[in-house]
Order: sequence, then C-alpha cells, then structure tokens
Amino acid sequence: MPFDAHDDVPDEALLVLFANGDGAAARVLTLRLTPRVMAHAYRLLGNRAEAEDVAQEAMLRLWKQAPDWRQGEAKVTTWLYRVVANLCIDRLRRARGGAVALDAIPEPADGRASAVEQLQERARAEALQAALDTLPERQRQAVVLRHIEGLANPEIAEIMEITIEAVESLTSRGKRALSAALAGRQEELGYVDER
Amino acid sequence: MSMSDKDDAGEGLDVFFEAARCQVPAPSPDLLARVLADADVAQQAHSAAFAAAPRQGIGPRLYRLLGGWPAMAGLATAALTGIWIGTALPEGLIGTAEAAYLVDITPEMAFDLAGGDF
Repeated sequence: MPFDAHDDVPDEALLVLFANGDGAAARVLTLRLTPRVMAHAYRLLGNRAEAEDVAQEAMLRLWKQAPDWRQGEAKVTTWLYRVVANLCIDRLRRARGGAVALDAIPEPADGRASAVEQLQERARAEALQAALDTLPERQRQAVVLRHIEGLANPEIAEIMEITIEAVESLTSRGKRALSAALAGRQEELGYVDER
Repeated sequence: MSMSDKDDAGEGLDVFFEAARCQVPAPSPDLLARVLADADVAQQAHSAAFAAAPRQGIGPRLYRLLGGWPAMAGLATAALTGIWIGTALPEGLIGTAEAAYLVDITPEMAFDLAGGDF
C-alpha cells in the first residue's frame, strides 16, 4: 500500500493495520505521533534528552499494546498522553528522591530565558517552560494539556483520570502560579509593550 | 496593564502559551529512527508469536472445551465404572425372585425392536 494512502486513516485504524504487520502504518504512526509525544514529554520534563527517552519508551509501549488494542475504548492520543505523563512523573520523582512537588511556587531559575534573548518568542517559550518546571506535576500536566496541547477539559479528565471540576481547579491554580512566576519578567520579555 | 491584574486566573499568559505552541521541540531524526526500529522489532515479535501459536485439531479443542484433564478424569472414571457394572456384575446378585420384580418400563420399545409384527 502506498505510504501516503494512510494519511487520512485514524490512529486507531492504523494501529490495527500495524498489528497486522503493515509497515506503512508503522511509519505514518511514527511520524504523526512521535512529535506530539516528544513535545508533551518536553513540556512536562523541561529536558530535551530525557523527553526523547520518554517519547521512545511511550511509542514502544504503543507498539507492544497494538495487538491487544481495544477499539472504541480510548483514543490513541489520549492513551499516549497518559503514558507520557506517567513516565515523566516517574522520572521527576526519581530525580527528586521520591519527594512530591510542593504547592509553593518559587521564581523560575534565573538566566534560562536571558540566554536566548535574541529571539523574543523563543525567550517567552523558555520562560514559560522554566515556570512550568516549578509547578507541581499535576498542575503542570493539566495546564500543558489545556493551554498548549489545546485539549478540552473532558479529554484531559480522561487522561488524568480525574473529574472535570478537578481539571478546572488544577488549571486555574496552575495559571495563577505561572502568572506569579512570570510577573517579574514581563518587561524583559517584551510583554508590557505589546499589550 | 500588567499580567497579574488583568485576570486572577492568569489569562495574560496567552502570549506565553502561544509562544510555547510555536516553539515545538521537534523529535530528532535519530529519535524517529529509533522509534521506527522499535516498531519493526515489535511487528516481527507479533508475527513470530502468531506463527508460533499451535494450530490445534478437533481433539485438543474438544478436550479444552470440555474442561481439560479434570473433566476427562471424571468421564473416564464414569465410563470404566459403567463397563465394570455391565460386565462384571455377578449374575447371582439377581436371583429369580428379584428378577420377578424387574419391570420393563418401555414395553413399546421391545415391541418396536421385535419388528412390531405381533
């Protein structure tokens, strides 16, 4: 089957084709899903090398799950977001020696954004990432899914296995914490001038 | 207008979220190659597992359908007991007096088996 013949096929159907040995399905799924998985892992971890490791592991789990995938139960992306988050949280907790993130939000690490000041947008993205890294894991996950990945609250609730009200609470607290963390950097990032 | 006094839930963060959406950390070609290699290995493993799955005939499938060895042991015991009763039951246990009490509950079957000519 031609490679581009699968471009309009839903992820779930491609996974069935993959389980049946279709090599083209593997390539389309890899090119379609790996960037999303990688981006999500990076936003939760703030570290590119670790995000790549998580992305590879998440995709490997998808390949292994393919023969037993139950159609209609969940979207492939929903399942992947959940796997990525779990892998990232495991890594974050191991890195902290098992300590759980505190709700207190410190300032982002100095110098992370200023290192790339020449590109303002990149600086903003980096500043946001630095601020995200200071959030408790669940707040960070909810904010990233809602405001960067652009998912709706019901899907986020399914991914995080919590209620929609809990999602709203997490995103609200997370955004307040981000505002506080970024409050001192508006001028540096050109935010005041543009608004 | 400052970011913090515009909205207490942080709506002023939109410009940062927009920047983050535009600054997508793309996967490296090496990562894509590793993911594809994993996919290839997984597909081969699936194929090998499928090929290695034993193709059972009707006998083994019936054996499993009936419940495996416990059910088979029960059936064998019942069958052997039936054979033993049928072949080894001493005739002396049923004397002429007891035989008189034996009642044929299906006389019409005996009639049919005999050809039904009488």
